[in-house]
Amino acid sequence: MSKNSNVPARSKVLSRRETRTAYLFLLPALVFFIGFVIIPMVLCLITSFFNYTMGDFSFIGIENYVKMFQDDIFLVALKNTILIVVVAVPTVTAFSLWVGASIYNMHAISRSFFRCIFYLPVVTGSVAVSVVWKWMFNKYNGLFNNVLTGMGVIDQKISWLGDERFALWCIIVILFTTSIGQPIVLYVAALGNVDPSQTEAAEVDGATKFQTFWKIKWPAIMPTTLYILIITTINSFQCYALIQLLTSGGPNHSTETIMYYIYYQAFKLNNYGYGNAMGIFLAIIIAIFSAIQLRVGKSDN
Amino acid sequence: MKKFLALLLTGAMTMSLVACGKQEAAPSNEDANAPAEAPAEEAPAEEPAADDAAAAPADGAVAGDITLWTYPVGKFGDAEAVGELVAAFNQKYPDVNVTVEYLDYQTGDDQVTAAIEAGTTPDLVLEGPERLVANWGAKGKMIDLSDLWDADTTADITANSAAVEAACKSSDGAYYEYPLCMTTHTMCINQELFEEADAMQYINEDRTWTVENFEKALQALKDHGVETTGVVYCGGQGGDQGTRALAMNLYNAQWTDAGHTEWTMNSAEGVKGLQQLKDWVDAGLLSSDAGIVASDEIQLFANETIAMSFCWNAANQLTYAAQTAFTPYAVAFPSEDGVPELCGGIWGFGIFDNGDAAKVDAAKAFIKFVCDDPTQGPESVKLTGFFPVRSSFGNIYEGTEDEERMTVYASFAQWLGDYYNVTLGWAEQRTAWWNLLQQIFGGEDVQTAADNYVNTCNEATTAASN
Repeated sequence: MSKNSNVPARSKVLSRRETRTAYLFLLPALVFFIGFVIIPMVLCLITSFFNYTMGDFSFIGIENYVKMFQDDIFLVALKNTILIVVVAVPTVTAFSLWVGASIYNMHAISRSFFRCIFYLPVVTGSVAVSVVWKWMFNKYNGLFNNVLTGMGVIDQKISWLGDERFALWCIIVILFTTSIGQPIVLYVAALGNVDPSQTEAAEVDGATKFQTFWKIKWPAIMPTTLYILIITTINSFQCYALIQLLTSGGPNHSTETIMYYIYYQAFKLNNYGYGNAMGIFLAIIIAIFSAIQLRVGKSDN
Repeated sequence: MKKFLALLLTGAMTMSLVACGKQEAAPSNEDANAPAEAPAEEAPAEEPAADDAAAAPADGAVAGDITLWTYPVGKFGDAEAVGELVAAFNQKYPDVNVTVEYLDYQTGDDQVTAAIEAGTTPDLVLEGPERLVANWGAKGKMIDLSDLWDADTTADITANSAAVEAACKSSDGAYYEYPLCMTTHTMCINQELFEEADAMQYINEDRTWTVENFEKALQALKDHGVETTGVVYCGGQGGDQGTRALAMNLYNAQWTDAGHTEWTMNSAEGVKGLQQLKDWVDAGLLSSDAGIVASDEIQLFANETIAMSFCWNAANQLTYAAQTAFTPYAVAFPSEDGVPELCGGIWGFGIFDNGDAAKVDAAKAFIKFVCDDPTQGPESVKLTGFFPVRSSFGNIYEGTEDEERMTVYASFAQWLGDYYNVTLGWAEQRTAWWNLLQQIFGGEDVQTAADNYVNTCNEATTAASN
């Protein structure tokens, strides 16, 4: 009897000890997270209600938020940002799934080769990638103009990044190439982990390839798809480095994004409070989009 | 408690998705060669906390650790050259330890802004009045250097150019910059190409030209088969002094009023100049490109893709001498009457108000040594590749291998125009300017676009004045 009563007590102690150990392991990351994310976010929220510049810090309530929606450039930036998200997220996800599905069952060497190719732009870094793309888009001696004029597709050389009609699409193309690496690697891993006995059973039962994919593999990789959707959405909303390096938001604000406009207001004009208000707005938008994706993903699942 | 911790950690993981999104900081497309103008200020000046009135200390009477941040003004971006300068300073002031950090024009302003907000500004900074006076000084972040501007110094500098003293002084009479060097920004042509096209005849001996002759030269180049004569770059603010000077000079417009309180490029002369640029672009005599900035344009010039550059100065000539297979021939910007008004560059030191009088003394001693010492002063100016602000230094390049090159650029000083870069609202103006160019080359009505530009700038100036 005494032996039986000791078991739950010991189990409780063990459990508590394990929990404490787990939290201790997480503590360093938590400290950094609180210091570099939570506290700055709280400060960002607070200062968004202030006229916070290099020479002033006075409470103005929601004036920054009101001003935001009366600011034509911000509205253009919001429109451009949403366009980037709407175009980039589905294309990146679909293309990554297609590539992942094509290469996951290849020989290990071939699979690794393709993974390296697609992952290269991710590890290369935005600055180097932008320099290469900037050269390719160059009006005078860039690759695209040389090829297209050589083939007779265009008569006049085009300033791809300097023309309102093309600039944002050029940014989206670059963003696409730098965004697909991680999803492809994740899809290859996720598809490789799908239980082959289930797909084999489905095939034995007469399921077509499409049915096997849609009924067996797709539900199995749904958590990965959700993660990819959310991370791609966040990255697309935060499109900044490419704009900064390639167009500065031009021509005529046609590539202005919210992240770049936040940088411009905060660092170029020292309107920190206004920049922070836009940052809070962007965070809310990202949270809403992510929540919708999670909800839709869960209901699909 | 457990639930709370679990919730916090879950939140942390979720938020880290947001935080870990790609947010790599990236350099902006600022000037690669010609030093760029600066952001402007938006708040009224505040009284510096430290003792401004203290005179520059006597030799050997100062001690301490000071930090110098330099923008890459000539060899002030070169650690070896600056190291030698600091070593020379330490021979005279052995108890002052100078730590140097090197900024670039891509990220330098962001670093200073972050330092100001974090309270970690350096003691000394090397740059121009746009930043030292009109931005950081006007916002009360700098020490008043009036005590360094004694009567002799002022007389020596104003004998060279009165504009230098005016540029270093704020509207409230405080001096936030102690100047070291100056130059005039010009444009440059490919001499051999111009000769082949028989276009050199349109340039006067003193390297000026009229609008009429400039147009003839463009036509001659086109007739000679030059695909792209020159590019009015407007992809960002890098090197915007070139496009400003081009547009302003064509019909002798003024960028601001004399008091630097209002922007005036929507005047008849300004709009006529802008319209002329658009007409030349429409006629194919010039090109416009919102996809490049000055550094790209200079590179196109250096590799002979285009026949002229609108962003040039003495330092560029030196930098690109080894890269060009032709003779870069500096010329003034064309103007209706052939008398240009060139944009200038003035660089010097400012001291951030860090509330430590001993550091301020040490910083002032450093400034006086670098700028005024009879031996070191001219050497310091040579490091910049520009010209001394002090008339007493004379021709510092005489007898050197740079004499011929610098004599050419010295000849442009006679056309040095108003230093309007100190007008409040400068940062907004810079962005509005290249946007204005993008708009008019994109087909918007020139007068309307110029009016919008001026309104934007004036609003920024008014906001900064309040």
